[in-house]
Amino acid sequence: MVVRLLLGLIFVLVAFAVVRALAPARAALAGIVLGAGAVVLVALNRQAITSVEFWAGLCGFAAILSALLIVIHPNPMVSVLFLIVNLFSVALFYLILNAQFLAAIQVIVYAGAIMVLFLFVVMLLNLKAEEGLRGGGGPQRYGAVVLGGLFAGLMFHALRNRGPRPYFEPGSFDSGFGTARELGRLLFTRYLFAFEAASLLLIAAMIGAVILAKRRIR
Amino acid sequence: MDPTVTRVLAEASVKIALFFGVVLTVIAYMTWVERRVSAWIQDRRGPNRVGPFGLLQPLADGIKFLFKEAITPPHVYRPVYLLAPALIFIPALVTFSVVPIGPTMSLFGRRIPLLIADVDNGILIILAFASMGVYGVALAGWSSNNKYSLMGGLRSSAQLISYELAMGIAIVGVLMATGSLRLTDIVTHQITNGWNALWQLPGFLIFVTAAFAETNRLPFDLPEAETELVAGYHTEYSGMRFSMFYMAEYANMITASALATTLYLGGYHVPGLAALGLPENAAAIVQVLAFCLKVAMFLFVFVWVRWTLPRFRYDQLMNLGWKGLLPIALAHVLWVSFLVLGGRA
Repeated sequence: MVVRLLLGLIFVLVAFAVVRALAPARAALAGIVLGAGAVVLVALNRQAITSVEFWAGLCGFAAILSALLIVIHPNPMVSVLFLIVNLFSVALFYLILNAQFLAAIQVIVYAGAIMVLFLFVVMLLNLKAEEGLRGGGGPQRYGAVVLGGLFAGLMFHALRNRGPRPYFEPGSFDSGFGTARELGRLLFTRYLFAFEAASLLLIAAMIGAVILAKRRIR
Repeated sequence: MDPTVTRVLAEASVKIALFFGVVLTVIAYMTWVERRVSAWIQDRRGPNRVGPFGLLQPLADGIKFLFKEAITPPHVYRPVYLLAPALIFIPALVTFSVVPIGPTMSLFGRRIPLLIADVDNGILIILAFASMGVYGVALAGWSSNNKYSLMGGLRSSAQLISYELAMGIAIVGVLMATGSLRLTDIVTHQITNGWNALWQLPGFLIFVTAAFAETNRLPFDLPEAETELVAGYHTEYSGMRFSMFYMAEYANMITASALATTLYLGGYHVPGLAALGLPENAAAIVQVLAFCLKVAMFLFVFVWVRWTLPRFRYDQLMNLGWKGLLPIALAHVLWVSFLVLGGRA
């Protein structure tokens, strides 16, 4: 366990040095190289094109690549676009897991509504392209490297020690559980209190926002 | 590969190719219809030189657009500038994949439903991709690095968000009556219980109004208001990229018309057809034609309204959306829920 955590730490330190040497001018190149590497990995994995694992791998790759590009890319507007791509790939994950309702809601609420807000804010602030990684940082950078390294080590450890269980068990699988009907039934029976409490919270936030915004107009 | 998978893939590919071809052809001919009808409304002749009645005009226009120089101004942000036209066009076409244009047909010994994807969350898919349409316009405006374009992009985002809300709430009435998010269920429900437009008239009118706003058509074409914003978000575009915006507008019109037909006018339903006792495939063809006729009627209304009404002012647009359509839509939902509780549906 400890050895693997240390290995992860070394890996992230090397990756950090590589990105720092390449970015920001070669951010796109770094992305393409990472992408090509992942495609090769998926192809080498030799999963059938109809298998769940193949598509889950593809979506995971898209999610990780877009998440990396959000951070690496020097233009904040493009980062917002990659965040949209990222949310979309998460929605695809939901689809693969048979949660169609959740997938559609993820696209409508996050990729559709919330990201428009982000887009507006970035557009109206008129942020210029960042100076690059050299400009920001400070002490939190070292903390990020150490914690990221520990996390990578943990992931590595978990992947090496995973049990022989398959990803899902066809016997216990209920094909109706992700539909709007099932979800609605659960929300209005078992989780009724949490659901209504959340709606109350949202109303309170909405009224608060209106009062704060209108305070000076009166 | 597994023979079932191959068969399903082949069937879907054929359907996608057919839908795609038909929709693109209709887009091309809508430009001709628009110009001829506008000429008719304004007592002019319109394009009538290329081919009989000017029918080859869309072809000539297409060739012209392809051979025009596609200028990329030096001040644009290139990657997003090139991506934006596609981002408007794709959601409009994807939405069409869940719309049923007819019942099932028996071909080559197999029963084939006349839609691409009969998904459980059809309505949600439509709303999801409708909300994606904002990005194309907003990003086209931003990446052009031009204040007119940016203003157009901002206006369109505000407009789309405001009217999407009223549209979604109007659709809730249909969902409550049907009890399903699947578009084929909505159509079959209307076949047995009568068209939704007959007893949900406010919802129908709100949906159609919001559809005009969602497609950026007059009287809601503020994002490209030429008297104030040159051409709004597509000021800096030329050649085929410029025509992509127009194709997207017509694709959006077709999709909105198909949705209005499916949700409120009974989809492919022809009253009294079952009494004639036609063979299954003949009946299916008649129903597909009826669907096309209903869509064509909506498309004509789109053109008709464009050349009849003047453009709204921006504050009028916002007032109509938030203080007019939204309260009416909410009251309509309440009314429909009482009717549904009372056993209407």
